[in-house]
Amino acid sequence: MRREGSPFQGVGAVAVKELADNLSSARMFVLEWLIVLTALAALYSAIDSLRRTTAQDPFLLLRLFTVNHAPLPSFVAILGFLIPLMAIGLGFDAINGEHNRRTLSRILAQPIYRDALLIGKFLAGLVTLAMSLAALWLMVIGLGLIFLGVPPGGEEVARSLAFLVIAVFYAGVWLALAMLLSIVFRSSATAALVALGIWLFLTVLWPMLAPAIAQVIAPPDPRYALLGLQTPDTGIWTQMLSRISPNHLFSEAMVGVLSPTTRTLGPVFLEQLRGAVMGAPLPLSQSLIIVWPQTVGLIAGTIVLFVIGYIAFQRQEVRA
Amino acid sequence: MRALFLAPIAIAICLSAPAAQAADSHDIKGLYLMTDYPAVTVRPGTTSTIPLRLQNYGLAPERYQLSVTGVPSGWTATLLGGGQPVAAAMPGPDANVSLQLRLDVPKNASMTAQTLTVKAEGQGNEASLPVAVALAKELPAKLTVESKLPSLRGSPKSNFEYTLTIKNDSGRNLVASFAADAPPNFETSFTEAYGTQELSSIPINAGQSKDIKLKVRPPGTVDGGHFPVTVTVKAEDATAKTDLALDIAGQPQLQVAGRDGLLSARAVAAKQTSIPIVVTNSGSAPADNIKLSASAPTGWKVTFQPSTIDRLVPGKDTEVQALLTPSDKSLAGDYMTTVTATSRGDTASGQFRVTVSTSTVWGIAGAGVIGVALLLMLGAVARFGRR
Repeated sequence: MRREGSPFQGVGAVAVKELADNLSSARMFVLEWLIVLTALAALYSAIDSLRRTTAQDPFLLLRLFTVNHAPLPSFVAILGFLIPLMAIGLGFDAINGEHNRRTLSRILAQPIYRDALLIGKFLAGLVTLAMSLAALWLMVIGLGLIFLGVPPGGEEVARSLAFLVIAVFYAGVWLALAMLLSIVFRSSATAALVALGIWLFLTVLWPMLAPAIAQVIAPPDPRYALLGLQTPDTGIWTQMLSRISPNHLFSEAMVGVLSPTTRTLGPVFLEQLRGAVMGAPLPLSQSLIIVWPQTVGLIAGTIVLFVIGYIAFQRQEVRA
Repeated sequence: MRALFLAPIAIAICLSAPAAQAADSHDIKGLYLMTDYPAVTVRPGTTSTIPLRLQNYGLAPERYQLSVTGVPSGWTATLLGGGQPVAAAMPGPDANVSLQLRLDVPKNASMTAQTLTVKAEGQGNEASLPVAVALAKELPAKLTVESKLPSLRGSPKSNFEYTLTIKNDSGRNLVASFAADAPPNFETSFTEAYGTQELSSIPINAGQSKDIKLKVRPPGTVDGGHFPVTVTVKAEDATAKTDLALDIAGQPQLQVAGRDGLLSARAVAAKQTSIPIVVTNSGSAPADNIKLSASAPTGWKVTFQPSTIDRLVPGKDTEVQALLTPSDKSLAGDYMTTVTATSRGDTASGQFRVTVSTSTVWGIAGAGVIGVALLLMLGAVARFGRR
């Protein structure tokens, strides 16, 4: 039987309802405060060290994001670690929660297709994350204005906006993954555990495993080792394997966008540096070209994970 | 053979030995007042000194009263010994005492010749010496300076070195000081003939000559032409002059810059970009056959259109297109490239900062990847949608 009408009818209603639920939920409250407080601490120490050490910097605002002052990591590093946690917290019980509360059949009994339900839930989660990230972004600029007293330049704002967009898609990857798991596993606890397991694996274990696997694939050349250099093949393999982790993609993109002097994210050969003027900032467009592959990876990852979840959900038996 | 050859020399030595001994052991006895030149010429208005010797041959030491007679009115004749006026002298046996007769001749002295008599009188011995003094308005030069190569040719950047010979004919040891009169902003310095020490004066013994070197460095911006330099050498009352000349041929001076003085350019990796380059000749002579070259980062290709400039007259500039292709492996960012213009007389270079941007092809490919993902989603919606 062929069904009629747009599959996206009712997306808006679902999204608004979910957004309201998300924003008022205790879980969201805890996660938000966790991120805000940690980020504040990182920012404060960054401002402190900037005020003490930086003489002159054309990109003072961007330094707020990237400067780390022991023992705290930089603002961007903290976000790279905590954004997945927030996204998993929002998405791990999106579908199986409805199952367990036996509300799924009732919602679908409304004139709403499953398409609309899933897309609505995903959009609501993404908007929630985007709102929190935008709030954090405004907080950085505001604190920078108050404590550094330097108004941000146009390019700085543009670069920090690029940071915001990339961070939203980074959150999107994890949200899509968490929702996929909430579709696949009927138990919320299992879904949460698996999601957190993947998160821990990709952020903590994978950075250690990638070089080890790379050394197996391309064994280091002792001639390079004698000179204290990394074997180019091993280095390239390490980087390619590391990029499987969205965390690595995010941190690479942040380096490219927030440090304007970054000229490349890949391996560099000495002959490429001959005649190069070091330390000169790149124009924004060139920085964006450098981080574009990473951004594409995050955006495409978000879409692909969502599509897999979508197909799984559409083929699922939901009347239990 | 060798003994035969040496034999005449041995005989000559044997013969000369008694002769030398005979000359030494003369049998002259008595007191003599002597001078090398008993007749001199002086110029009115000057002071001259005549060296004298009171020679004692085989007499006991004795006090000799000294006097000068026949001094014309207005003249002053003083006998000096050891630098001060003396009235008596006392030479030992077979020894002499050096004296000097200083003559102050007034400016208005009549031009007739005079004879002065210097006398030394002792107990029973006496000696006298008539000195004829002629007067002359012009005396032969006491000091001469001349250059073997008084006219040199070169470019504004070359050093002009003249070797000057200063000769002291004054009969006295002199300290000659020298000065060079050159056109404004020409740098002159005197050095020893074989040395680097700069000098302003040099002592020259009587009758001797000394070589000094004059170095003239013209200002770098000088136009071609003929420039005279006069060297004046002075010692006490003597002066000598010589005229030297520099023939400076003009020289081209090149400058390399971008159009409107711009030294930065933009380029895309692996794509040819044309950068206008202006070559200017700010020198004083035309530059011929100017070749352009560039030193760029590894893997870059730089050619010039045209690659040589046939002739560039002074004060003119010409524009050349540099066709620059950054390597396809270039990273985005700034690179330095040096463009050099070389002509026969001069070379100039300019550093250009080239901002390389990378191709956006991969960016479009990335957008394609996202598009494929979206298509996948639409396909999924179409296949599985509306349940």
